[in-house]
Amino acid sequence: MADIVDIAVGNAAFSTLVTAVKAAGLVDTLKSPGPFTVFAPTDDAFAKLPAGTITTLVQNIPQLTRILCYHVVPGRLKRSDLAAFQSINSVEGSPIDLTITEDIFEVNNATVIMPDVEADNGIIHVIDTVILMRPHWFWPIMNSFAAASAR
Amino acid sequence: MTATLPRIKLPPSTHPLAEIVHRLEAGGAMLPDTPENLMQIIGLYKAYAVPMDFYWRDLLYIGEQVFVDPFAFFKFIIPDEYLQLHNHYAGDTADLRIWRGEATAHPELLEFMQQGELKRKLPRILHHLWHDRINMEFAEECMRAMLWHRDMGGLLDPYMDSEEYRRNADRAIRAYVHGNPIMTGLYKLFPDMFMELCRQATMYAVLGLFWEIMAPVFFEMSDLYDEGKITSVPEAMNFLVNGIFAIAGRPIYHRVRIRGEWYDIVPKSKGFTWLYEAAFPYVEAVFYRTSPFRGTKSYNAQANEIPTNQLDYHYGVLYADKFPVGTAGIPPTLLHQDMYHFLPPYLVEYYRKFCRGEEDMLIQLAISFQRSMYCVTSAVIQAGRAAFLYPLDDPNPRHLAMNRRYFEGQLYRFCRPEYGIKDAARINAIQTQDYR
Repeated sequence: MADIVDIAVGNAAFSTLVTAVKAAGLVDTLKSPGPFTVFAPTDDAFAKLPAGTITTLVQNIPQLTRILCYHVVPGRLKRSDLAAFQSINSVEGSPIDLTITEDIFEVNNATVIMPDVEADNGIIHVIDTVILMRPHWFWPIMNSFAAASAR
Repeated sequence: MTATLPRIKLPPSTHPLAEIVHRLEAGGAMLPDTPENLMQIIGLYKAYAVPMDFYWRDLLYIGEQVFVDPFAFFKFIIPDEYLQLHNHYAGDTADLRIWRGEATAHPELLEFMQQGELKRKLPRILHHLWHDRINMEFAEECMRAMLWHRDMGGLLDPYMDSEEYRRNADRAIRAYVHGNPIMTGLYKLFPDMFMELCRQATMYAVLGLFWEIMAPVFFEMSDLYDEGKITSVPEAMNFLVNGIFAIAGRPIYHRVRIRGEWYDIVPKSKGFTWLYEAAFPYVEAVFYRTSPFRGTKSYNAQANEIPTNQLDYHYGVLYADKFPVGTAGIPPTLLHQDMYHFLPPYLVEYYRKFCRGEEDMLIQLAISFQRSMYCVTSAVIQAGRAAFLYPLDDPNPRHLAMNRRYFEGQLYRFCRPEYGIKDAARINAIQTQDYR
């Protein structure tokens, strides 16, 4: 079976991701035994980011690496494994929120458009949006008005 | 007949600021879209950007060279090399050119630094003591707010308490005090004080790097408005949103130059970014919280008038009582004084028509500034929505409901009954032009 990098390289929909992973020097890591669970944004997902975002990241490799590491979770986690959690810690350190029901599979604000792609050294879930870290104040803000209304 | 898919609509919001919730959902700002508001906010961006061009340069100078000097009497006397320093987002040498103007200090700033309000070329120290200068006290107040409200998200806050940070700081402080027996002795006696001064120097650098970007953003917005290319408040807000995304990944770092050698305190390799380690913490600390001084009122902490939880502080510009209590040393008033020198002519003309004309121009511009900061905050809220949630025209009703929950939560920060937060917030006032 192919590893995570081989699968991405072999699929034309991941050309931006592959370029970014190469620029960040993460190829060797993602070819290592791992295992890793990768939430892989497609080219269309990257294209949704406003102009300049990628340019700035490619100019600044440690920052690019950090964003990419937010898309990686240690372990080999299929959809059925992830369904037990509400959130899971990324390699970057910040949590990724999971919404998994019978007909929904979402990570933060991204929808998984192809789950459980098996690789030698892990699992790939293909997502339609680049996910960005939600700061710790995100959920308190989301919940504040609803909580006040309930009171 | 053409058939179009109807855009999914949620039922009306029940939020106290429902009208503004709906406006944000339609891609608008907290500030109503009127030509008068647009003129005011753009004029103030221009007037803010010129002193900001000084602030970021001097903040970087202090963070990089004044460093942990406990007797920093001359920290506001900026060396020429920092006025010549190239902005990374303006000029021909830019990493990403946001402003089409030059990379070095703005010509209006240089002219003001020469002559001041007195329009006389006196020794710089006289201009300084007369407060006829750019008042760095405001910039320092913002820096202190960020230092005091440190845990506003991002990885810099925990990093500043890490062993790695202490090692980096210790190495640089040792080099800094080397050869100076008094300073060496002081460092031995008060190592924690120096460590805290180093964290403060880090915050100087962080705020400097943050504003290095905001100055060219505001200059460009002003130029686009003059050229007729920004014609509405949402267009102005969206320029900011796009700017926020474009430079989100800009590195945030702190390094110190001691006797010609650079020492990394927060290396670029940590991967800290403008959005997470500077912009969001800045907005949370400065726009919303700062410290208990709203302008005209004193507080009694024993009578529970000051929140026990620092997260509930609400003394930032969005809640500020813009009244002229300004004597020297009141930082927001000093900012207004700084902006007063660089108002575009159309705003001076406009302010003369209202209230007491030039007599209270400082208050009028302060209120325009508050409007402009409600626009910037709207951009940050929309950028947060775009980064963490969903497009405004998302076809999924569940996603739209999440967007609404976010907007309602953000706006609830202006409606909370505790500690008079609701009454202090100026969001209702800025909905009309009577507030000036």
